[in-house]
Amino acid sequence: MSYSAQNLHPVAMLLSAQSAVRRWLSTFAFFGVASIANGLDLGDLFLLIMAVLIVVLGSAVQGFLAWRATRYWVDAGAFHLKQGVVSKSERSIPLDHIQSVDIVQGLLQRVFGVVEVRIETAGGGGGGRPGAADAALPAVSRAAASELQRALSAGRQAAQGAMSEAVEVPAGPKVIRRLGVGQLLLAGATSGQIGVVLPLLATFSQIFDDLLPVNVLEQVAESELPRSPAAILLGLVVLAVTAWLISISGTVLAYGGFTLSRDGESLRIRRGLLETREVTIPIRRLQAIRIVESVLRQPFGMATLQMDSAGYGANSGVSTTLFPMLPRRDVRTLLEAAAPEFAVDPELQPLPRRAARRYVVMQVLSVLFPAGILVALGVLPGLLGRTSGLLARLSPVFLVAAAGLIIASAIYGWAKYKGAGYALVSDCLVLRTRGFTRTTVIAPRRRLQSRSVTQNPFQKRAGLATFGVRVASGGGGTEYELPHVDAEAVGTLLARLGPAPRVA
Amino acid sequence: MRAEPRERLDPRARRLWRITGLISSLVILAQAAAVSAVLRWLVNAPMTVAVLPLIGALALGAFLVGVVPDLRWRRWRYEISDTEVDLQRGLLYVTRTLVPLARVQHVDTQQGPLERSMQLSTVVFYTAAGANRIPALHTPVADAVRDRIAELTREQDEL
Repeated sequence: MSYSAQNLHPVAMLLSAQSAVRRWLSTFAFFGVASIANGLDLGDLFLLIMAVLIVVLGSAVQGFLAWRATRYWVDAGAFHLKQGVVSKSERSIPLDHIQSVDIVQGLLQRVFGVVEVRIETAGGGGGGRPGAADAALPAVSRAAASELQRALSAGRQAAQGAMSEAVEVPAGPKVIRRLGVGQLLLAGATSGQIGVVLPLLATFSQIFDDLLPVNVLEQVAESELPRSPAAILLGLVVLAVTAWLISISGTVLAYGGFTLSRDGESLRIRRGLLETREVTIPIRRLQAIRIVESVLRQPFGMATLQMDSAGYGANSGVSTTLFPMLPRRDVRTLLEAAAPEFAVDPELQPLPRRAARRYVVMQVLSVLFPAGILVALGVLPGLLGRTSGLLARLSPVFLVAAAGLIIASAIYGWAKYKGAGYALVSDCLVLRTRGFTRTTVIAPRRRLQSRSVTQNPFQKRAGLATFGVRVASGGGGTEYELPHVDAEAVGTLLARLGPAPRVA
Repeated sequence: MRAEPRERLDPRARRLWRITGLISSLVILAQAAAVSAVLRWLVNAPMTVAVLPLIGALALGAFLVGVVPDLRWRRWRYEISDTEVDLQRGLLYVTRTLVPLARVQHVDTQQGPLERSMQLSTVVFYTAAGANRIPALHTPVADAVRDRIAELTREQDEL
């Protein structure tokens, strides 16, 4: 399927003129401010206005020329983009190198009803910068964009699929799941972003305090609120609630209208309220899927689906979200529709009992140092023969805290042990680990780049081993590990996950 | 557990690692000497305390040069079957890695100046999830290993 040469939508002129004007204006702003500061005379003003006019006109002409020079088309094997007024360039991207076709709509583009199309290739391209596309079309009408998308994916399938049965052009994307408003809000409320927002907000409120007329604030504070612990507490609560609301709105803006749909052999993810993004990812590029249940979401039975996809989504954490929030029990249904290869939900094999001790001991060892300090603080006054003073009075508290720390870490270690498990069903490896967050990794056998088993002397004595697999993800790879599995079971896993024996 | 991989590295690997171990212990020794000097002359610590970093560095150096290379060499094994590359390495934490040949994207041999002087090479093979290496092979062996991996990889692709 080919796609004949086209210009961008004429709004592209405006967009490029707009960015050119913005670049120039910052230069002129400096002169403008300087001349105004020197006392404004009419001659200067005239010059300034002329200069601005010339810049605007020049940018408009440049925008027009750039628009006229930019053409893109798809022929048998490749996508072509020709651009440049003075120095011309033509870029060809072989269709089967195309990793994803993203559609982004910023505010200005939304006003004019156009979208930006970004084409990314395997290996990340774009000079290795995350988020840099290999080819970007800043203004394309919606219709042209989806037509282009269809041409690209059809061409891609034709390029690979001499063997596959007649390539059928799919009848457009089929929606798999939309994020409901309730779940969107819940996602925001449990996002844990508050930890990021709170310190920021605290800093801002400090600046705010410094800027506001001091007297007013103090008067208000002194008349309305006595400087008491209660008032401080109230202030903190207000701060925390504000931070929470900000983090909710951040999530709502980023994930509002999240829609996962399937278009033939590609997944389409659309999200965002102000700036909408649409990402297309070929299903065959999926390497592993993670079901992430953070501690805040577990009480609601909710999970987030993340994906590892080869050559895509290197550093940007957001773009690797397959679905931000859904009930745990719906995961399998969603995967069956989106990526059937990953749709397994087996009973997991628990780790052997003797592994429990290791999980608990390792966890307790990790807090031994702080606990030791607490014990020292608790015991020291007694040793030094001091019975009065703050430290002496607090010493029982320290001892209790140390005991509490050790008991809590032991329980945490036990929870880690109970949460861990693995399974191998229908050629899919499932690994589950648990910290505060419970993560279940699903990776098909043929996606595993390597598998490994590591044993330290203690593990060897106990007949345990750490099992690990690597999958391709973004630019490099990701390793998933499960510590303290029965050594023989690991041996079986290694063998069963290996390449099928060759038939002579 | 399956049997250990069959092939060992070149025996000269031990000498190579002894030299690299010596270089890094010299660096550590220099740092320890600086700390000792500070302790002795700036902090006025007693001599018995001031020499502790030096002694520690010497012990570590002896370990790196005298013990580690042998242990490492004894542990390091590899084997290339028809379908997979099998690696085993590690001193305390023994790691066994299996890389299906069908996942290998390309293979290199590499050689640093020190390795070159001892006619040793490192085979590096890349998958979509990063590189794996077999260090310190006699250069002709390394070349053969590289060619074999490349050839087997091609065969896997054709399947």
